Amino acid sequence: MSADPYATAAGLVERSAAAYAAAVPEHPADDGFFGPASVTWRVTTDLSAPVAGLRSLLMQALHPLAMAGVDQHSNWRLDPVGRLAATSAYEATVTFGDRASASRVAQQVQKIHTRVRGTDTVTGQPYAASDPALLLWVHVALVDSALAASRLFGASLPDAGADAYVAEMRIAAELLGVPREIIPASAAALDEYVARVRPELQCTPAAAESMSYLLDPPGLDEDIAELWQDIRDAAIIALPGWARELYGYPDPGPLTAGRRTEIRQTLGVLDALFMGEPGVLEARQRLTLRMRSAGKA
Amino acid sequence: MRVRTRGLAIAAVAGGVSIAALTLLRGQGGRLGGTRNGRGRLGGTRNGRGRLRVQRGLATLRLAARGGARYASHAPRLFTSAGEHRQQLRNDLALQTAEDVASTLGAMKGVLMKLGQMASYVDNGLAPAARRTLSRLQDSVPPMSPELAAQVVTEELGLPPEQAFATWDPEPIAAASIGQVHRAITHDGRAVAVKVQYPGIAETIEADLGNVGLLRRMLKISAPQQDVDALLAELRERITEELDYNREARNQQLFARFYDGHPTINVPAVVAELSTRRVITSDLADGARFAELATWSQAERDLAAETIYRFVFRSLYQAHAFNGDPHPGNYLFHGGGRVTFLDFGLVKHYSTEELRPLVAMVKHLCVENDPEAFRRAMEDAGFLMPGAPLPTDMIVEHMALFYDTVRERGPRTMTGDYASAVTRRFFDFRSPLAEYVQIPRSYVVLQRINLGLFALLGELSATADWRCIAEEIWPFIQGPPCTPMGAAEAAWRMRKSAASSQERSA
Repeated sequence: MSADPYATAAGLVERSAAAYAAAVPEHPADDGFFGPASVTWRVTTDLSAPVAGLRSLLMQALHPLAMAGVDQHSNWRLDPVGRLAATSAYEATVTFGDRASASRVAQQVQKIHTRVRGTDTVTGQPYAASDPALLLWVHVALVDSALAASRLFGASLPDAGADAYVAEMRIAAELLGVPREIIPASAAALDEYVARVRPELQCTPAAAESMSYLLDPPGLDEDIAELWQDIRDAAIIALPGWARELYGYPDPGPLTAGRRTEIRQTLGVLDALFMGEPGVLEARQRLTLRMRSAGKA
Repeated sequence: MRVRTRGLAIAAVAGGVSIAALTLLRGQGGRLGGTRNGRGRLGGTRNGRGRLRVQRGLATLRLAARGGARYASHAPRLFTSAGEHRQQLRNDLALQTAEDVASTLGAMKGVLMKLGQMASYVDNGLAPAARRTLSRLQDSVPPMSPELAAQVVTEELGLPPEQAFATWDPEPIAAASIGQVHRAITHDGRAVAVKVQYPGIAETIEADLGNVGLLRRMLKISAPQQDVDALLAELRERITEELDYNREARNQQLFARFYDGHPTINVPAVVAELSTRRVITSDLADGARFAELATWSQAERDLAAETIYRFVFRSLYQAHAFNGDPHPGNYLFHGGGRVTFLDFGLVKHYSTEELRPLVAMVKHLCVENDPEAFRRAMEDAGFLMPGAPLPTDMIVEHMALFYDTVRERGPRTMTGDYASAVTRRFFDFRSPLAEYVQIPRSYVVLQRINLGLFALLGELSATADWRCIAEEIWPFIQGPPCTPMGAAEAAWRMRKSAASSQERSA
């Protein structure tokens, strides 16, 4: 834990929006690694995406070595919003960018990863960010979270959409150096993998600290702060029960239809705010047009 | 005018609720929610509170937050209003299915868009960034594809549009409130405009309006005397009404009948048998848009302004109805002062009892010059807390600005500066009156209109003897015509009453 005061989370929407708008290409050389007809594009453009993002951070942080890497090497305390915006930009570029752009940003991240190594003070184990096992956990946490958030709060996926999404997303892990053969290729394989890793997971002090920051970020613009409470609740609802227990969050009980609607409404307001930021509407329209024409083809 | 002025005035006075209404729609501040963990800048002194209220307003929409400008200090530039941009319909992005509609307008977005539209008439003071945001929200709604629009028409009229009409233009000509407008020709040869509502939108918006908690947070106003619930109720009622095209058709027909034969006011007649809850068919009108009017001669602009002015106050005082949307996109101009009025989705009806204190206020202030009676009328109307520890002359001085154009005879030019001053005073939370005034729910809509009307007329730099025109219309005077248009209108009224007495005797 750091004794340093945290930077505030002001500007979260603006900076994420700017990152997003810049990451959606205007003149892509090709359809990238997924393409407009992919399930990945549907899942990523779904209203539930912010919940997926937050749940995914909550899951990722439960791996002590993954968390240690962030804790010991990242500047998140100094610039939490910048860190989140950089992550969004990365994900958006890999998803929507052409192949060259996606490969380029992945190489940049790999380069950074080579410097991220050390020893976790909780488990005493050494870690390296380029370790495929850690990268795979981070990947699976993201894919699993997108599915969970979309199932609870998103538009329904087509039949076999979940399997297709898991299979499509393998390339994202590969881009960071995970061997294809160890990446889950179906929803069932994803579940198995999570069950296998589960005994290693725990809520370290670093995880508790960073996640409590994230769930209630100080200095968040007040309008967003109100909405964030619902997003946070949604992410916690979407967590597996055992993950909630590790964090010590109370069981939220079953998700009622009314509560689901409320959360979707909050997501809609957040989305409208996001769309009000420069370039976001245009980026959305670029994606919509490409998805439409892919749908007709 | 007077009357109208009075409405405004009231509004102004009413710093309280109405402000809430407006503010909330237009607000400068980037705050969505209320106090949170005591972090909210809610509390504070009375002076401070007012400012906060404003800042908080349309926070949700980030209306003004970014610009940081104090809206009231901006010159009123009426509209490059949000809605106008939608004229560029993005057909390439057209919504093809009801699911597309739901993902575009569901989850609160339709409600936000409606709030944005309601606010757009007062966007004169908005910071440029705020205006852009509002406009973007509306831009984000593409038209329906021809197939989807046809599907709605088929469901509503029981026949596909090519059969329900002799000719049907599948490409929409304009965006409309939660719908779009198509041209068509009926089987008996009438050229009509057919407004078609997005499918499923009524249900979605109704459900979203049910989330009072989120709406309250979005609209949160700190001052205890401001009745957020009343305000919300008013907004919900207005939006719900607007979703019901049957109601709009009835209102439009009411106005069309009332103004039938009027020398300068045209309201397109509704074709009842081709109108339903989600489709309205009315006579097609063609004319110059507001932006074009702005390029016409000053004489033409004055005439158009006079017609709009007469329409607003004649409707209120004689038909007891207010058409609530002074958006410049809702007029077509034909020259010689002839104006077509479009869009009757926001009509408010008043009872004689509801209008009485408004009439009394204008009468006491502008005609009888009786400050104490004026004050009592304000209290009767519910604008001013009875027994407020304020000297009457202070109240009168504050309110007089709103009646400025009708206090004395003689030609006056509506200016942007005047509209701006009215806006500033309306939102002057530092005024000692702010504590003791509020706007009763049923008058909230009047404030919107008033602010919009002044800005509209100011944009035209319209000159007239507004007092004299107002005297023609004020029910306690019903003065003789003072302009050629007034004379033509008087003749129309004579014909109208002759016709109705003939009907009675028949």
